[in-house]
Amino acid sequence: MSWWDDALHRAIAEVILAGALAGLIGVQVVVRRLSFFTMALTHATFPGVVAASLIGVNVFAGGIVAGAVVALGVAALSRRQGQNAAAATGVVLSAGFALGAGLIATQSGFSRDLSALLVGSILTVNNQDILITAAMLVAVAALLAVCARPLTFAGFDPGGARAAGLAVGAWDVVLLLTVEAVVVTIVPAVGTILAVALIVAPAAAARLWSTRLPVITALAVSFAVASGLGGLYASYIWNVAAGASIALTATLLLAVSSLLARPAASLLTASRPREGTA
Amino acid sequence: MVLRFADTSVGYHGVAVLTHVDLSLEAGQCLALAGPNGAGKSTLIKAVLGLTEVLAGTAEVFGRTPARSREQCGYVPQVGDLDPDFPVTAAQVVLMGRYRRIGWWRPTRATDRRAVTEALDRVGLADEAGRRFGLLSGGQRQRVLLARALAAEPELLLLDEPFNGVDVVSQEAILSVLRELTRSGTALLLSTHDLALARDVADLVCLINGRQWAFGPPGEVLTADQLRSAYGGHAIDLADGRTVLVEP
Repeated sequence: MSWWDDALHRAIAEVILAGALAGLIGVQVVVRRLSFFTMALTHATFPGVVAASLIGVNVFAGGIVAGAVVALGVAALSRRQGQNAAAATGVVLSAGFALGAGLIATQSGFSRDLSALLVGSILTVNNQDILITAAMLVAVAALLAVCARPLTFAGFDPGGARAAGLAVGAWDVVLLLTVEAVVVTIVPAVGTILAVALIVAPAAAARLWSTRLPVITALAVSFAVASGLGGLYASYIWNVAAGASIALTATLLLAVSSLLARPAASLLTASRPREGTA
Repeated sequence: MVLRFADTSVGYHGVAVLTHVDLSLEAGQCLALAGPNGAGKSTLIKAVLGLTEVLAGTAEVFGRTPARSREQCGYVPQVGDLDPDFPVTAAQVVLMGRYRRIGWWRPTRATDRRAVTEALDRVGLADEAGRRFGLLSGGQRQRVLLARALAAEPELLLLDEPFNGVDVVSQEAILSVLRELTRSGTALLLSTHDLALARDVADLVCLINGRQWAFGPPGEVLTADQLRSAYGGHAIDLADGRTVLVEP
Protein backbone atom coordinates (compact mmCIF):
# COMPACT_ATOMS: atom_id res chain seq x y z
CA MET A 1 0.00 0.00 0.00
CA SER A 2 1.57 3.28 -1.07
CA TRP A 3 1.42 6.60 0.81
CA TRP A 4 -1.16 7.90 -1.66
CA ASP A 5 -3.63 5.12 -0.91
CA ASP A 6 -4.50 6.65 2.47
CA ALA A 7 -7.43 9.10 2.15
CA LEU A 8 -6.01 11.33 4.89
CA HIS A 9 -2.64 11.54 3.12
CA ARG A 10 -4.35 12.50 -0.13
CA ALA A 11 -6.37 15.09 1.78
CA ILE A 12 -3.17 16.58 3.25
CA ALA A 13 -1.59 16.86 -0.21
CA GLU A 14 -4.75 18.42 -1.66
CA VAL A 15 -5.15 20.90 1.18
CA ILE A 16 -1.54 22.12 0.81
CA LEU A 17 -1.90 22.57 -2.97
CA ALA A 18 -5.38 24.11 -2.79
CA GLY A 19 -4.30 26.41 0.05
CA ALA A 20 -1.30 27.68 -1.91
CA LEU A 21 -3.48 28.20 -4.97
CA ALA A 22 -6.20 30.03 -3.00
CA GLY A 23 -3.67 32.23 -1.20
CA LEU A 24 -1.94 33.14 -4.45
CA ILE A 25 -5.07 34.23 -6.31
CA GLY A 26 -6.59 35.62 -3.09
CA VAL A 27 -4.04 38.46 -3.04
CA GLN A 28 -5.22 39.58 -6.50
CA VAL A 29 -8.85 39.22 -5.40
CA VAL A 30 -8.38 41.33 -2.26
CA VAL A 31 -6.12 43.97 -3.81
CA ARG A 32 -8.47 44.39 -6.80
CA ARG A 33 -11.58 44.34 -4.57
CA LEU A 34 -12.99 41.28 -6.30
CA SER A 35 -14.18 39.50 -3.13
CA PHE A 36 -17.84 39.96 -3.95
CA PHE A 37 -17.25 38.84 -7.54
CA THR A 38 -15.52 35.71 -6.22
CA MET A 39 -18.51 35.08 -3.95
CA ALA A 40 -20.84 35.34 -6.94
CA LEU A 41 -18.55 33.08 -8.94
CA THR A 42 -18.63 30.29 -6.35
CA HIS A 43 -22.42 30.40 -6.36
CA ALA A 44 -22.75 30.69 -10.11
CA THR A 45 -20.49 27.69 -10.78
CA PHE A 46 -22.91 25.70 -8.63
CA PRO A 47 -25.62 25.20 -11.34
CA GLY A 48 -22.86 24.27 -13.80
CA VAL A 49 -21.54 21.65 -11.44
CA VAL A 50 -25.05 20.29 -10.76
CA ALA A 51 -25.95 20.22 -14.45
CA ALA A 52 -22.70 18.43 -15.22
CA SER A 53 -23.36 15.72 -12.66
CA LEU A 54 -26.97 15.38 -13.88
CA ILE A 55 -25.96 14.78 -17.48
CA GLY A 56 -22.99 12.72 -16.36
CA VAL A 57 -20.04 14.79 -17.59
CA ASN A 58 -17.01 15.95 -15.60
CA VAL A 59 -18.03 18.47 -12.89
CA PHE A 60 -14.89 20.50 -13.66
CA ALA A 61 -16.14 21.08 -17.18
CA GLY A 62 -19.56 22.17 -15.88
CA GLY A 63 -18.06 24.57 -13.37
CA ILE A 64 -15.58 26.02 -15.87
CA VAL A 65 -18.32 26.71 -18.45
CA ALA A 66 -20.75 28.26 -15.93
CA GLY A 67 -18.00 30.32 -14.29
CA ALA A 68 -16.65 31.56 -17.63
CA VAL A 69 -20.13 32.80 -18.56
CA VAL A 70 -20.33 34.70 -15.26
CA ALA A 71 -16.78 36.10 -15.50
CA LEU A 72 -17.33 37.39 -19.03
CA GLY A 73 -20.80 38.68 -18.09
CA VAL A 74 -19.47 40.64 -15.10
CA ALA A 75 -16.57 41.97 -17.20
CA ALA A 76 -19.00 43.17 -19.87
CA LEU A 77 -21.40 44.72 -17.32
CA SER A 78 -18.69 46.54 -15.39
CA ARG A 79 -17.37 48.13 -18.60
CA ARG A 80 -20.70 49.82 -19.30
CA GLN A 81 -20.74 53.34 -17.92
CA GLY A 82 -23.19 53.97 -15.13
CA GLN A 83 -23.92 50.28 -14.70
CA ASN A 84 -23.82 49.20 -11.08
CA ALA A 85 -21.47 46.22 -11.19
CA ALA A 86 -22.16 45.28 -7.57
CA ALA A 87 -25.91 45.06 -8.19
CA ALA A 88 -25.35 42.98 -11.33
CA THR A 89 -22.96 40.69 -9.44
CA GLY A 90 -25.52 40.27 -6.65
CA VAL A 91 -28.22 39.30 -9.12
CA VAL A 92 -25.88 36.79 -10.80
CA LEU A 93 -25.05 35.33 -7.37
CA SER A 94 -28.63 34.64 -6.32
CA ALA A 95 -29.75 33.60 -9.82
CA GLY A 96 -26.91 31.10 -10.10
CA PHE A 97 -27.65 29.61 -6.72
CA ALA A 98 -31.39 29.42 -7.46
CA LEU A 99 -30.70 27.75 -10.81
CA GLY A 100 -28.54 25.13 -9.09
CA ALA A 101 -31.17 24.48 -6.43
CA GLY A 102 -33.86 24.27 -9.12
CA LEU A 103 -31.84 21.77 -11.13
CA ILE A 104 -31.37 19.62 -8.04
CA ALA A 105 -35.10 19.69 -7.27
CA THR A 106 -35.79 18.07 -10.65
CA GLN A 107 -33.88 15.01 -9.52
CA SER A 108 -34.67 12.80 -6.55
CA GLY A 109 -31.88 11.14 -4.59
CA PHE A 110 -29.34 13.89 -5.27
CA SER A 111 -29.20 15.41 -1.79
CA ARG A 112 -26.11 13.60 -0.50
CA ASP A 113 -23.97 14.76 -3.42
CA LEU A 114 -25.37 18.26 -2.99
CA SER A 115 -23.86 18.74 0.44
CA ALA A 116 -20.55 17.44 -0.91
CA LEU A 117 -20.67 20.11 -3.62
CA LEU A 118 -21.52 22.84 -1.14
CA VAL A 119 -18.99 22.16 1.63
CA GLY A 120 -16.58 19.90 -0.25
CA SER A 121 -15.35 16.44 0.58
CA ILE A 122 -11.64 16.65 1.09
CA LEU A 123 -11.38 13.07 2.34
CA THR A 124 -12.69 11.70 -0.95
CA VAL A 125 -10.33 13.57 -3.31
CA ASN A 126 -8.72 11.23 -5.78
CA ASN A 127 -5.32 11.33 -7.46
CA GLN A 128 -6.81 13.09 -10.47
CA ASP A 129 -8.10 15.97 -8.29
CA ILE A 130 -4.64 16.34 -6.74
CA LEU A 131 -2.94 16.37 -10.14
CA ILE A 132 -5.35 18.98 -11.48
CA THR A 133 -4.79 21.19 -8.41
CA ALA A 134 -0.99 20.84 -8.74
CA ALA A 135 -1.09 21.68 -12.45
CA MET A 136 -3.32 24.69 -11.78
CA LEU A 137 -0.98 25.89 -9.01
CA VAL A 138 1.98 25.83 -11.39
CA ALA A 139 -0.02 27.54 -14.15
CA VAL A 140 -1.43 30.31 -11.94
CA ALA A 141 1.93 30.97 -10.23
CA ALA A 142 3.60 31.23 -13.65
CA LEU A 143 0.87 33.50 -15.01
CA LEU A 144 1.00 35.86 -12.01
CA ALA A 145 4.80 36.01 -12.12
CA VAL A 146 5.09 36.57 -15.87
CA CYS A 147 2.17 39.02 -16.12
CA ALA A 148 2.89 40.90 -12.87
CA ARG A 149 3.56 44.21 -14.67
CA PRO A 150 0.41 44.49 -16.79
CA LEU A 151 -1.79 43.08 -13.99
CA THR A 152 -0.42 45.53 -11.41
CA PHE A 153 -0.52 48.54 -13.73
CA ALA A 154 -4.07 47.77 -14.92
CA GLY A 155 -5.23 47.19 -11.34
CA PHE A 156 -3.62 50.26 -9.81
CA ASP A 157 -4.27 52.80 -12.56
CA PRO A 158 -6.52 51.62 -15.42
CA GLY A 159 -6.57 55.09 -17.05
CA GLY A 160 -2.79 55.43 -16.98
CA ALA A 161 -2.34 51.85 -18.18
CA ARG A 162 -4.66 52.49 -21.13
CA ALA A 163 -2.68 55.64 -21.96
CA ALA A 164 0.50 53.53 -21.88
CA GLY A 165 -0.99 51.27 -24.55
CA LEU A 166 -2.19 48.41 -22.34
CA ALA A 167 -5.40 46.54 -23.24
CA VAL A 168 -6.86 46.96 -19.74
CA GLY A 169 -10.18 45.26 -20.54
CA ALA A 170 -8.42 42.16 -21.84
CA TRP A 171 -6.25 41.95 -18.71
CA ASP A 172 -9.32 42.26 -16.50
CA VAL A 173 -10.83 39.30 -18.32
CA VAL A 174 -7.58 37.32 -17.90
CA LEU A 175 -7.69 37.94 -14.15
CA LEU A 176 -11.42 37.13 -13.78
CA LEU A 177 -10.99 33.89 -15.73
CA THR A 178 -7.98 32.94 -13.59
CA VAL A 179 -10.01 33.49 -10.41
CA GLU A 180 -12.75 31.39 -11.96
CA ALA A 181 -10.35 28.56 -12.83
CA VAL A 182 -9.04 28.55 -9.23
CA VAL A 183 -12.57 28.49 -7.80
CA VAL A 184 -13.49 25.49 -9.92
CA THR A 185 -10.25 23.72 -9.04
CA ILE A 186 -10.60 23.98 -5.27
CA VAL A 187 -14.33 23.15 -5.21
CA PRO A 188 -13.72 19.39 -4.69
CA ALA A 189 -11.65 20.21 -1.60
CA VAL A 190 -13.68 22.86 0.21
CA GLY A 191 -16.91 23.13 -1.80
CA THR A 192 -18.49 25.98 -3.74
CA ILE A 193 -19.56 27.98 -0.68
CA LEU A 194 -16.39 27.74 1.36
CA ALA A 195 -13.96 28.23 -1.53
CA VAL A 196 -14.45 31.97 -1.17
CA ALA A 197 -13.39 31.84 2.49
CA LEU A 198 -10.12 30.10 1.61
CA ILE A 199 -9.43 32.64 -1.17
CA VAL A 200 -10.39 35.88 0.57
CA ALA A 201 -9.68 35.38 4.31
CA PRO A 202 -5.95 34.45 4.17
CA ALA A 203 -5.18 37.23 1.68
CA ALA A 204 -7.18 39.77 3.70
CA ALA A 205 -5.27 38.68 6.82
CA ALA A 206 -1.90 38.86 5.00
CA ARG A 207 -2.66 42.39 3.85
CA LEU A 208 -2.92 43.56 7.43
CA TRP A 209 0.69 42.53 8.06
CA SER A 210 2.42 44.17 5.09
CA THR A 211 2.06 46.77 2.35
CA ARG A 212 4.36 45.01 -0.11
CA LEU A 213 2.87 42.70 -2.72
CA PRO A 214 5.58 39.97 -2.58
CA VAL A 215 5.38 39.83 1.25
CA ILE A 216 1.56 39.84 1.19
CA THR A 217 1.60 37.01 -1.35
CA ALA A 218 4.02 34.86 0.67
CA LEU A 219 1.99 35.44 3.85
CA ALA A 220 -1.34 34.73 2.12
CA VAL A 221 -0.04 31.41 0.78
CA SER A 222 1.29 30.48 4.24
CA PHE A 223 -1.96 31.47 5.96
CA ALA A 224 -4.10 29.55 3.44
CA VAL A 225 -1.97 26.39 3.72
CA ALA A 226 -2.02 26.72 7.53
CA SER A 227 -5.82 27.12 7.44
CA GLY A 228 -6.10 24.01 5.29
CA LEU A 229 -3.86 21.87 7.51
CA GLY A 230 -5.30 23.29 10.76
CA GLY A 231 -8.86 22.80 9.55
CA LEU A 232 -8.10 19.28 8.42
CA TYR A 233 -6.57 18.47 11.82
CA ALA A 234 -9.57 19.94 13.66
CA SER A 235 -11.89 17.97 11.41
CA TYR A 236 -9.93 14.75 12.17
CA ILE A 237 -9.84 15.34 15.94
CA TRP A 238 -13.42 16.56 16.47
CA ASN A 239 -15.02 14.76 13.55
CA VAL A 240 -16.55 17.87 11.94
CA ALA A 241 -16.91 18.59 8.20
CA ALA A 242 -13.46 19.42 6.82
CA GLY A 243 -14.67 22.20 4.50
CA ALA A 244 -16.35 24.00 7.38
CA SER A 245 -13.40 23.66 9.77
CA ILE A 246 -10.97 24.89 7.06
CA ALA A 247 -13.09 27.98 6.40
CA LEU A 248 -13.44 28.64 10.13
CA THR A 249 -9.68 28.32 10.66
CA ALA A 250 -9.11 30.85 7.86
CA THR A 251 -11.62 33.20 9.47
CA LEU A 252 -9.95 32.78 12.86
CA LEU A 253 -6.57 33.70 11.31
CA LEU A 254 -8.14 36.85 9.87
CA ALA A 255 -9.68 37.78 13.24
CA VAL A 256 -6.36 37.24 15.06
CA SER A 257 -4.50 39.25 12.39
CA SER A 258 -6.87 42.19 12.64
CA LEU A 259 -6.35 42.23 16.42
CA LEU A 260 -2.55 41.88 16.34
CA ALA A 261 -1.27 43.32 13.05
CA ARG A 262 -1.81 47.03 13.72
CA PRO A 263 -0.27 47.09 17.23
CA ALA A 264 2.65 45.00 15.94
CA ALA A 265 3.18 47.38 12.99
CA SER A 266 3.13 50.48 15.20
CA LEU A 267 5.62 48.83 17.58
CA LEU A 268 7.93 48.13 14.63
CA THR A 269 7.78 51.67 13.29
CA ALA A 270 8.25 53.10 16.79
CA SER A 271 11.41 51.08 17.38
CA ARG A 272 12.81 51.99 13.96
CA PRO A 273 12.51 55.74 13.33
CA ARG A 274 12.67 56.85 9.72
CA GLU A 275 15.85 58.51 8.54
CA GLY A 276 15.85 62.25 8.20
CA THR A 277 13.20 62.76 10.85
CA ALA A 278 13.49 63.48 14.57
CA MET B 1 3.40 70.78 -34.86
CA VAL B 2 2.60 68.71 -31.78
CA LEU B 3 -1.20 69.03 -31.80
CA ARG B 4 -3.64 70.07 -34.49
CA PHE B 5 -7.38 69.84 -33.93
CA ALA B 6 -9.61 71.32 -36.65
CA ASP B 7 -13.37 71.59 -35.99
CA THR B 8 -13.12 68.36 -34.03
CA SER B 9 -15.93 66.66 -32.12
CA VAL B 10 -15.04 63.96 -29.60
CA GLY B 11 -17.12 61.66 -27.43
CA TYR B 12 -18.02 58.12 -26.46
CA HIS B 13 -20.19 55.55 -28.21
CA GLY B 14 -21.11 58.00 -30.96
CA VAL B 15 -22.34 60.68 -28.53
CA ALA B 16 -20.38 63.96 -28.68
CA VAL B 17 -19.12 65.33 -25.34
CA LEU B 18 -17.12 68.21 -26.79
CA THR B 19 -17.57 69.91 -30.18
CA HIS B 20 -15.94 72.55 -32.39
CA VAL B 21 -12.41 72.14 -31.05
CA ASP B 22 -9.90 74.22 -33.04
CA LEU B 23 -6.46 74.35 -31.51
CA SER B 24 -2.79 73.86 -32.19
CA LEU B 25 0.26 73.36 -30.00
CA GLU B 26 3.98 73.62 -30.79
CA ALA B 27 6.94 72.02 -29.03
CA GLY B 28 7.92 73.89 -25.86
CA GLN B 29 4.47 75.49 -25.42
CA CYS B 30 2.06 75.02 -22.53
CA LEU B 31 -1.65 74.86 -23.32
CA ALA B 32 -4.18 75.07 -20.48
CA LEU B 33 -7.66 73.61 -20.89
CA ALA B 34 -9.99 75.74 -18.81
CA GLY B 35 -13.67 75.25 -18.11
CA PRO B 36 -16.11 74.23 -15.38
CA ASN B 37 -16.50 70.68 -14.08
CA GLY B 38 -18.02 68.43 -16.72
CA ALA B 39 -16.90 70.75 -19.53
CA GLY B 40 -15.10 67.93 -21.36
CA LYS B 41 -11.52 68.63 -20.24
CA SER B 42 -10.69 64.99 -19.43
CA THR B 43 -12.45 63.89 -22.61
CA LEU B 44 -10.22 66.14 -24.71
CA ILE B 45 -7.09 64.79 -22.97
CA LYS B 46 -8.26 61.23 -23.68
CA ALA B 47 -8.90 62.24 -27.28
CA VAL B 48 -5.24 63.26 -27.60
CA LEU B 49 -4.33 59.78 -26.31
CA GLY B 50 -6.68 58.17 -28.83
CA LEU B 51 -8.94 56.82 -26.07
CA THR B 52 -12.11 58.61 -27.19
CA GLU B 53 -13.81 58.62 -30.57
CA VAL B 54 -13.20 61.47 -33.00
CA LEU B 55 -16.73 61.97 -34.36
CA ALA B 56 -16.07 64.87 -36.73
CA GLY B 57 -13.21 67.04 -37.96
CA THR B 58 -9.51 66.20 -37.73
CA ALA B 59 -7.33 65.35 -34.76
CA GLU B 60 -3.60 65.04 -35.31
CA VAL B 61 -0.90 64.36 -32.74
CA PHE B 62 2.64 64.66 -34.10
CA GLY B 63 1.07 64.62 -37.57
CA ARG B 64 -0.54 61.21 -37.10
CA THR B 65 -3.78 59.86 -35.68
CA PRO B 66 -3.81 60.13 -31.85
CA ALA B 67 -3.66 56.37 -31.15
CA ARG B 68 -0.51 56.03 -33.29
CA SER B 69 1.36 58.75 -31.39
CA ARG B 70 0.70 57.40 -27.91
CA GLU B 71 4.34 56.42 -27.41
CA GLN B 72 5.43 60.07 -27.55
CA CYS B 73 2.83 61.13 -24.98
CA GLY B 74 3.07 61.02 -21.20
CA TYR B 75 -0.10 61.07 -19.10
CA VAL B 76 -0.62 62.19 -15.51
CA PRO B 77 -4.06 61.05 -14.31
CA GLN B 78 -6.07 62.64 -11.50
CA VAL B 79 -4.80 61.43 -8.14
CA GLY B 80 -8.34 60.91 -6.90
CA ASP B 81 -8.92 58.18 -9.50
CA LEU B 82 -6.31 55.90 -7.93
CA ASP B 83 -6.83 53.39 -5.12
CA PRO B 84 -4.75 54.56 -2.10
CA ASP B 85 -4.93 51.06 -0.58
CA PHE B 86 -3.16 49.42 -3.52
CA PRO B 87 0.14 47.96 -2.27
CA VAL B 88 2.71 49.76 -4.47
CA THR B 89 5.62 51.97 -3.45
CA ALA B 90 6.38 55.38 -4.97
CA ALA B 91 9.36 53.87 -6.85
CA GLN B 92 7.19 51.06 -8.26
CA VAL B 93 4.67 53.61 -9.52
CA VAL B 94 7.44 55.58 -11.25
CA LEU B 95 8.83 52.36 -12.75
CA MET B 96 5.45 51.86 -14.47
CA GLY B 97 6.42 54.82 -16.64
CA ARG B 98 9.34 52.76 -17.95
CA TYR B 99 7.34 49.59 -18.74
CA ARG B 100 6.71 50.48 -22.35
CA ARG B 101 10.40 51.29 -22.86
CA ILE B 102 11.62 48.15 -21.04
CA GLY B 103 8.98 45.95 -22.62
CA TRP B 104 6.22 44.37 -20.54
CA TRP B 105 8.06 41.08 -20.15
CA ARG B 106 11.77 41.96 -19.92
CA PRO B 107 13.58 42.45 -16.60
CA THR B 108 14.31 45.92 -15.24
CA ARG B 109 17.76 47.25 -16.24
CA ALA B 110 20.12 49.50 -14.31
CA THR B 111 19.28 52.41 -16.65
CA ASP B 112 15.60 52.06 -15.74
CA ARG B 113 16.34 52.09 -12.03
CA ARG B 114 18.50 55.17 -12.55
CA ALA B 115 15.69 56.86 -14.52
CA VAL B 116 13.29 56.16 -11.62
CA THR B 117 15.65 57.68 -9.06
CA GLU B 118 16.29 60.72 -11.27
CA ALA B 119 12.57 61.28 -11.89
CA LEU B 120 11.77 61.08 -8.16
CA ASP B 121 14.68 63.44 -7.49
CA ARG B 122 13.34 65.98 -10.00
CA VAL B 123 10.02 66.20 -8.15
CA GLY B 124 11.82 66.34 -4.79
CA LEU B 125 10.72 62.93 -3.51
CA ALA B 126 13.93 60.88 -3.71
CA ASP B 127 13.65 60.13 0.02
CA GLU B 128 10.15 58.68 -0.33
CA ALA B 129 11.00 56.04 -2.97
CA GLY B 130 10.24 53.11 -0.66
CA ARG B 131 7.06 54.57 0.85
CA ARG B 132 3.68 53.17 -0.08
CA PHE B 133 1.96 55.41 -2.61
CA GLY B 134 -1.24 55.61 -0.55
CA LEU B 135 0.63 56.85 2.55
CA LEU B 136 1.92 59.96 0.76
CA SER B 137 0.02 63.28 0.87
CA GLY B 138 -2.20 64.25 -2.06
CA GLY B 139 0.44 66.63 -3.38
CA GLN B 140 3.19 64.05 -3.04
CA ARG B 141 1.08 61.47 -4.89
CA GLN B 142 0.60 63.98 -7.69
CA ARG B 143 4.37 64.50 -7.83
CA VAL B 144 4.95 60.73 -7.97
CA LEU B 145 2.58 60.53 -10.94
CA LEU B 146 4.46 63.41 -12.58
CA ALA B 147 7.74 61.55 -11.94
CA ARG B 148 6.23 58.47 -13.60
CA ALA B 149 5.43 60.52 -16.69
CA LEU B 150 8.95 62.03 -16.65
CA ALA B 151 10.51 58.56 -16.50
CA ALA B 152 8.86 57.80 -19.84
CA GLU B 153 10.61 60.85 -21.38
CA PRO B 154 7.58 62.10 -23.37
CA GLU B 155 7.56 64.81 -26.05
CA LEU B 156 4.01 65.80 -25.11
CA LEU B 157 2.91 65.65 -21.50
CA LEU B 158 -0.81 65.57 -20.65
CA LEU B 159 -1.87 66.45 -17.10
CA ASP B 160 -5.44 66.07 -15.86
CA GLU B 161 -6.09 68.64 -13.08
CA PRO B 162 -2.52 68.44 -11.72
CA PHE B 163 -3.16 71.07 -9.02
CA ASN B 164 -6.36 69.63 -7.57
CA GLY B 165 -6.05 69.19 -3.80
CA VAL B 166 -2.33 69.93 -3.93
CA ASP B 167 -0.52 71.83 -1.15
CA VAL B 168 1.61 74.91 -1.87
CA VAL B 169 4.95 73.05 -1.61
CA SER B 170 3.85 70.41 -4.11
CA GLN B 171 2.33 73.01 -6.42
CA GLU B 172 5.64 74.91 -6.53
CA ALA B 173 7.57 71.66 -7.13
CA ILE B 174 5.21 70.71 -9.99
CA LEU B 175 5.31 74.21 -11.53
CA SER B 176 9.11 74.29 -11.51
CA VAL B 177 9.30 70.89 -13.25
CA LEU B 178 6.74 72.04 -15.83
CA ARG B 179 8.82 75.16 -16.55
CA GLU B 180 11.95 73.04 -17.01
CA LEU B 181 10.05 70.79 -19.40
CA THR B 182 8.81 73.58 -21.67
CA ARG B 183 12.32 75.09 -21.67
CA SER B 184 13.71 71.77 -22.92
CA GLY B 185 11.13 71.64 -25.71
CA THR B 186 8.45 69.38 -24.24
CA ALA B 187 4.88 70.39 -25.10
CA LEU B 188 2.39 70.50 -22.22
CA LEU B 189 -1.38 70.15 -22.17
CA LEU B 190 -2.97 70.53 -18.76
CA SER B 191 -6.53 70.85 -17.62
CA THR B 192 -7.47 73.10 -14.72
CA HIS B 193 -10.44 74.97 -13.37
CA ASP B 194 -8.08 77.43 -11.64
CA LEU B 195 -8.16 80.36 -14.05
CA ALA B 196 -5.51 82.40 -12.19
CA LEU B 197 -3.12 79.47 -12.48
CA ALA B 198 -3.95 79.00 -16.16
CA ARG B 199 -3.11 82.67 -16.72
CA ASP B 200 0.23 82.28 -14.92
CA VAL B 201 1.56 79.03 -16.40
CA ALA B 202 0.12 78.76 -19.90
CA ASP B 203 1.23 80.22 -23.23
CA LEU B 204 -2.16 79.32 -24.67
CA VAL B 205 -5.56 78.76 -23.13
CA CYS B 206 -8.45 76.80 -24.58
CA LEU B 207 -11.77 77.68 -22.95
CA ILE B 208 -14.31 74.87 -23.22
CA ASN B 209 -17.71 73.92 -21.92
CA GLY B 210 -19.37 71.30 -24.12
CA ARG B 211 -17.82 73.14 -27.07
CA GLN B 212 -14.79 75.31 -27.55
CA TRP B 213 -15.53 78.95 -26.68
CA ALA B 214 -12.12 80.52 -27.18
CA PHE B 215 -8.50 79.64 -27.95
CA GLY B 216 -5.43 81.86 -27.80
CA PRO B 217 -3.04 83.64 -25.41
CA PRO B 218 -4.39 83.92 -21.81
CA GLY B 219 -4.87 87.70 -22.10
CA GLU B 220 -7.23 87.28 -25.04
CA VAL B 221 -9.12 84.23 -23.83
CA LEU B 222 -9.60 84.83 -20.11
CA THR B 223 -11.69 87.97 -20.49
CA ALA B 224 -15.00 88.63 -18.77
CA ASP B 225 -16.96 88.35 -22.02
CA GLN B 226 -15.45 85.02 -22.99
CA LEU B 227 -15.82 83.60 -19.48
CA ARG B 228 -19.40 84.77 -19.26
CA SER B 229 -20.29 82.96 -22.46
CA ALA B 230 -18.50 79.76 -21.42
CA TYR B 231 -19.63 79.66 -17.80
CA GLY B 232 -23.05 81.20 -18.32
CA GLY B 233 -23.08 84.68 -16.81
CA HIS B 234 -21.06 84.25 -13.65
CA ALA B 235 -17.99 86.36 -14.46
CA ILE B 236 -17.26 89.76 -13.00
CA ASP B 237 -14.53 92.21 -14.07
CA LEU B 238 -12.36 93.62 -11.32
CA ALA B 239 -10.84 97.09 -11.47
CA ASP B 240 -7.28 95.72 -11.78
CA GLY B 241 -8.10 94.12 -15.14
CA ARG B 242 -8.57 90.64 -13.73
CA THR B 243 -11.74 88.62 -13.90
CA VAL B 244 -13.29 86.49 -11.19
CA LEU B 245 -15.90 83.81 -11.50
CA VAL B 246 -18.79 83.52 -9.12
CA GLU B 247 -19.89 79.89 -9.00
CA PRO B 248 -23.68 79.66 -9.44
